Amino acid sequence: MGLGWYITRRVGWAVIVTFIIVTVTWALITAAPNPAVRQAATQAALDGGNPSAAAERVRELRGLNAPLHQRYIDYMVNVYTLDWGWSTMRSQPVTEAMLSALYYTVQYSVPWTLFTILLAPAVGLYSAANQYSWKDHLATGFAFFGYAIPNFFFGIMLLLLFGVYLEWIPITYNSDVPVFSLENARQLIVPVFVLVTGSIGGTMRVARNESAEFISADFVKTANAKGVSKLRVYARHILRPTMVPLSTTIVGQLLALFIGASLLVEIVFGIPGLGRLTFRAIIAQDTNLVLGSTLFFTFIATIGNLIQDLVYTVLDPRISFEDR
Amino acid sequence: MTQPPLLSVDGLTTTFNTDAGLLTAVDDVSFDIAEGETLCLVGESGSGKTVASESITRLIDSPPGETGGAVRYRGRDLTEMSESELRSLRGDNITHIFQNPQDALNHCYTVGWQIVEAIQMHEDVSDDAARERAVDLLNEVGIANAAARFDDYPHEFSGGQKQRVMIAMALVTNPDLLIADEPTTALDVTVQAQILRLLNRLQDEYGLGILFVTHDLGVVAEIADRVVVMYAGKVMEHGSVYDIFEQPSHPYTRALMECLPGGERASGGIPGTLPDPVDPPDGCRFAPRCDHAVSECHTGEQPAEAEVSDSHCASCVYYQPGYDAGTILGPDTGSGSASEEVTND
Amino acid sequence: MATDDQARFDQTDWEEIDESVDHGLSANTKVVLAGLVPLVLLYAYDYTLVGQYEPTFGFVGWGYSVTQLDWLFALSLLLFGAYGALPLYQAPRMTKYYWGEFKRNRPAVVSLAFLAGIFTMGLLGPLVISPPETDILIPYQPPLGFTIGMESVVECAGPVTEAGGQRVCHGSLAHPFGTTGSGKDIFRSVVYGMQITMKIAFITTLIVVTIGSAVGTVAAYGGGMVDEILMRYVDIQQSFPTFIAYLLILYIFGGGIALFILLFGLFSWEGTARYVRSNALAKVEEEYVKATQLTGASTYHIVRRHLVPNTASSIITDVTLLIPAFILFEAQLAFLGLGDSTIPSWGQVLAGGRDALPYAPWVTLIPGLFIFFTILAFNFLGDALLDALNPQAEAESE
Repeated sequence: MGLGWYITRRVGWAVIVTFIIVTVTWALITAAPNPAVRQAATQAALDGGNPSAAAERVRELRGLNAPLHQRYIDYMVNVYTLDWGWSTMRSQPVTEAMLSALYYTVQYSVPWTLFTILLAPAVGLYSAANQYSWKDHLATGFAFFGYAIPNFFFGIMLLLLFGVYLEWIPITYNSDVPVFSLENARQLIVPVFVLVTGSIGGTMRVARNESAEFISADFVKTANAKGVSKLRVYARHILRPTMVPLSTTIVGQLLALFIGASLLVEIVFGIPGLGRLTFRAIIAQDTNLVLGSTLFFTFIATIGNLIQDLVYTVLDPRISFEDR
Repeated sequence: MTQPPLLSVDGLTTTFNTDAGLLTAVDDVSFDIAEGETLCLVGESGSGKTVASESITRLIDSPPGETGGAVRYRGRDLTEMSESELRSLRGDNITHIFQNPQDALNHCYTVGWQIVEAIQMHEDVSDDAARERAVDLLNEVGIANAAARFDDYPHEFSGGQKQRVMIAMALVTNPDLLIADEPTTALDVTVQAQILRLLNRLQDEYGLGILFVTHDLGVVAEIADRVVVMYAGKVMEHGSVYDIFEQPSHPYTRALMECLPGGERASGGIPGTLPDPVDPPDGCRFAPRCDHAVSECHTGEQPAEAEVSDSHCASCVYYQPGYDAGTILGPDTGSGSASEEVTND
Repeated sequence: MATDDQARFDQTDWEEIDESVDHGLSANTKVVLAGLVPLVLLYAYDYTLVGQYEPTFGFVGWGYSVTQLDWLFALSLLLFGAYGALPLYQAPRMTKYYWGEFKRNRPAVVSLAFLAGIFTMGLLGPLVISPPETDILIPYQPPLGFTIGMESVVECAGPVTEAGGQRVCHGSLAHPFGTTGSGKDIFRSVVYGMQITMKIAFITTLIVVTIGSAVGTVAAYGGGMVDEILMRYVDIQQSFPTFIAYLLILYIFGGGIALFILLFGLFSWEGTARYVRSNALAKVEEEYVKATQLTGASTYHIVRRHLVPNTASSIITDVTLLIPAFILFEAQLAFLGLGDSTIPSWGQVLAGGRDALPYAPWVTLIPGLFIFFTILAFNFLGDALLDALNPQAEAESE
């Protein structure tokens, strides 16, 4: 039983987890009064019609009269066949609405992820190599700042400074510019910077503490005694073991920010991505879209957790798959 | 002109800048190692012997460490060399083995990768050729099925096997000098004996000079040609292995001998503790724990080395003019072995 | 606050055992009971005799209706006092030792002082300062030392001067931090926000630590199926992002600060449970637990006296990272306009100032800085506690 079997089991478990979570969302939705039904009843009452008859009509229309188990099966089938219903707010299928929003989310998520993966280990290693010097303190101070400052607040401040006062960046997001253009880079640079600051804050500390431990490790002394150059010692002998715990931290941190803070950052900068879509759906009482976004984010979380576990096991040769 | 010795250490001093002050771990230590010779550096833990062994190729991080004095390898001063010159020497002409094989190998790379790295750092050889040499050497150090185990990770090896891998890695570049820092301390007694035998065999085969750091006099008796006894960063006594065992001359060496099984201090050890390395006592470092200390021992510098016999020196006032060395050697002067020694108080 | 908790860790076993064996009840338990009895009586009185919106303590002339959340807050304060502050007093030598370790980290000491200030002001401030009230005549009053053009404000509470043909309104002591767009005093809002922040911190911590350690120990001692099921559940909970879950529940059922605190408390204990479980599994093997078992001590006794104190360092570190996350979530929700608009939390004030950002940035800036410094302080504190409580963890001590 090796890596393959472990991955199979882990993926299987992730599928079960999504299944359970989808079930929970169904239970929540089913337990609550349906806003559409309520709306129809209110409308009917306002129009002088029969509220209960109108409610009944809507219920029938939406299949809410069917027995519970039937509704559950329908729901689950729809979720897994990506038939996520019609978005009243966008007047298009939920999946389509989300796909078009995803296009904008990806535009800042990809550079954000890349910068985090590149910078977090580098800054952490740099800090560890210069431990307790002013460079280390500077990097650590930056990490704490990035970790502690609420992303949306930081975003507002930077937008005020660079957008309103200095007029270096546009205040409103323009969704018409080409993806690979200077204008797009200009309007995305601050949101990406804000998110990178946030994700580096948490990960750089881990990178620093872990690599500081390895810098004084015996095997680094062995490498030095072998005549390995300083740069290679850092790049190969210290960075590699640091990446084992760090990779999980990076995935976890990116995930946490993606699910929480990026939503806010999209709203602050007016990026018409998934976060803003979710927020608008909540305001517009578009149940299908709210549910769709929720499912999307939980799927992402499940996949993220999966990657976190897999990355760790793949990177650390000492992990034996038999005991997991 | 006589040929310079393989390694000549002259006035080696290593200090560390700590919060408590300047810590002198190695203080003015000198010794030579000839080609093919085994020199044992002996002392309690904390005596500075490990730092001394690592100062030779400047493995001590600086800061906080600072190394002074001269270290000459075949007449070339290592302390004057640039970092890159030194690196080309490290792992090629002078190699190291460390105390704890558990952590000495990087857990993220295969054993083979790490040995090949040692080769390719110094020689321009193809991967296949390097692999072949590594497998050969793994075979030679006694790793069974070496070709298959080449791609295993360190955690798949036992402690003794890891130390064998370390030895293979240290020999793969065909060095002249091997610095082995307590290579057997972390291992089982039976494995210890195997590793020592292996080192002995390889030394003959490769004509290696070995600097062997240990606190174990049993190991010293087994492998040493010459011995340097260190205490609190200073050399107390040095001489051939016969001199040291047959005629231990410094009170510290004698105390160490008495700690051997069957000796007078076998169960108790030497009373007292090592002096504070930041603020060492005046006079002889060992004086506060010495049974024979007189008032002169507590003032001035460490006594100068005095010749006890040919190429056998001790740093003790009793060997200075005007003192009777017989006082510390006891009635049975010179001939008795350590375990039969009777002290005069 | 969280520092006090370190006491759980330093409750040395022998003293504890002496006390608990001799008198049946430890001093901590006595304090809890002594505090719990009046608390329960008052709660019963509030619940049965006083109407929901009537002042609870109207008979002493205090016109404030105590909410469910206040009762929970009082309970968590009581428990923190008994198991956090009291043991520090009981074991002065250990306290001194830990303080000595902790003191070396200067940013952490400043952080602790800052948080202690927030705590004290949040607790006592609302008793002496009246709540912020809407006053449409004085919107966007600048903070002390700042000015704003008269065209943005209706009236100026401070001095008005003329500069370059423009009349400018100066900040005054009447509103030291200025006012919001609806004329609410920001200083008062910030003080009331402190109490909300502290409620979030204390109550969620109480929930997280209680459930987390319970699940962790049960899983470790139960073993087998019990362990498997509990840990699988923890997996699932971790996969369901709390923020998104809360958005969904908010959308379906509506929400408020009480729901927020309960939900985030109830769905954030997985880290603690994991720590406690792995620690318990390791500790079970250790000699002193075996020795205690041999003397015939009950499992409860072992868990309470040995396991929880010894896991405290991990729990505390975990919690000092959780609390800032909660504070941040509250601010985020408030910013989205999905928070509890009936309370003057920092997030609410911050969100309210967004539109006026170019000409009245203080409305956003002041609460934002309080959030920032509070989160920063918790981080420094967590870092220092990790150092002081866990010598093996070689984190930085400046």
